[in-house]
Amino acid sequence: MLQQLFNALALGGVYALVALGLTLVYGVMRVPNFAHGGLYMLGAYLTYAALTGLKVGYVPALILSALGVALLAALMERVIFHPLRNAPHVHPMIAAIGVLFFLEALISHPKVFGPDFKQITEPLPGIVNLGGVTLTWQRLLIIAASVLVMLGLNYFLKRTLTGATIEAMSQNREGARLVGINTNRVGMLTFAISGALAAVAASLIAPINAVTPSMGEVMNLKVFAIIILGGMGSVPGAIVGAFLLAFTEVFGGFYISLDFADVIGFAMLVVVLALRPQGLFRKGT
Amino acid sequence: MLEIRDLTVRYGAFTALHALNLSVQRGEIVVLLGANGAGKSTLFRTLSGLQRPAGGSATWNGTSLTTGRPELNVASGVAQCPEGRLLFPELSVEKNLRLGAFVHRRDPAGTARELERAYDLFPALIEKRHAPAGSLSGGQQQMVAIARALMARPQLLLLDEPSLGLAPLVVEQVFSAVQRVNETGVTVLLAEQNAFAALSIAHRGYVLEGGRLTLEGTQQDLMTDDRVRSAYLGV
Repeated sequence: MLQQLFNALALGGVYALVALGLTLVYGVMRVPNFAHGGLYMLGAYLTYAALTGLKVGYVPALILSALGVALLAALMERVIFHPLRNAPHVHPMIAAIGVLFFLEALISHPKVFGPDFKQITEPLPGIVNLGGVTLTWQRLLIIAASVLVMLGLNYFLKRTLTGATIEAMSQNREGARLVGINTNRVGMLTFAISGALAAVAASLIAPINAVTPSMGEVMNLKVFAIIILGGMGSVPGAIVGAFLLAFTEVFGGFYISLDFADVIGFAMLVVVLALRPQGLFRKGT
Repeated sequence: MLEIRDLTVRYGAFTALHALNLSVQRGEIVVLLGANGAGKSTLFRTLSGLQRPAGGSATWNGTSLTTGRPELNVASGVAQCPEGRLLFPELSVEKNLRLGAFVHRRDPAGTARELERAYDLFPALIEKRHAPAGSLSGGQQQMVAIARALMARPQLLLLDEPSLGLAPLVVEQVFSAVQRVNETGVTVLLAEQNAFAALSIAHRGYVLEGGRLTLEGTQQDLMTDDRVRSAYLGV
């Protein structure tokens, strides 16, 4: 029982990191970035490449991967989303789906990584005993790291002027331009942060799950469910939604059937949206 | 000074401003009277760099305002308090004000000083400074919007319909604050439908109709002009 609690916390932490990036980008750009899962998948592969190719340690590999994906995400904003900023909303959405498929096909290519799954070995193997509850070091690491990253993000958004520009732009884009905020720069920065968060999340969970080209699609479904659940663009909504989904999946899987874990998660989404269509944290406008 | 020469702005096939010529001298309060859809907000959006003109020029002390980069306009001393206020509703009043000073982010001491001045100008905001801006009354939100524009330390303040939807007593407070701001040396261009309140503090004025200036004159000229009296003063 307590063990399941830790499993849910670890899973929720990973979901939260990925969902936070997605919700920040939605808030600032008003575009659902369907390529977000692709960035997540790329994060896992970059970590794998750094570990096996550069033979660096787990933490430097994770940081390199976060930086690499951040850079790519910022580039994606410039090259794909920025030119489409005045086009109908469908255009950037389709472009984003295109990016997702492109990244997946690129990674699956035999000359790149190939379609087979890759394994990242746990940086801290073994288990730890916490007052009778045994859990793996990796899960503890996930929980600690995701909490740390979320605290850092919160500090950045709430306590720094640069962070405030992200919130300002998501609350009133025109108002942000009128006070002299360069919205292009904020857009790129937000994309970079969302890419880094996705890469960190992917690198944290990779030693538990296998690294595959399609891992991004699966995650995409879940994080979109989460931010719709929490309210599109809401930061607390993304965190609460992430843990809600993780707890439903883990405990649903434990008490009912592991095969039904995803079914139960999405059933919860349907129920919540039936009762509160705007999501949990979106102001009813 | 603000110098507008043959400024033409189009939205697709619709021409919102027809070769406008207008100037505002340093230290003046100039009012721009006009009904809804006359082009007041279009002019202001253009002067802030949010809208690019199809032709003509607009300069402040020789610096072009039509480069399409709003942050450069703010940095060269032109700040706008827009119609509808466009505040950041979930951020605190103080954060809204601090973001108003975004172009002066490398001068925190100056920003702290301006913050003091903003609270001196609108003491009602002091006790609300940690409240989300969106939770304030309409009049207080208007004060936040004006104060936010002032945080950019403008030489030219563009005020778009500050009295819209406010109670008469609040309108009086807002206009007296504008007058005090002007006395510190800030040039003010004020767009209004509430002609009486606006003319009472203005030095000069223009009347904008269907994207064209149809009348201009001093405060006295406009106050006594029959067309203005019937169309905007309701006399």
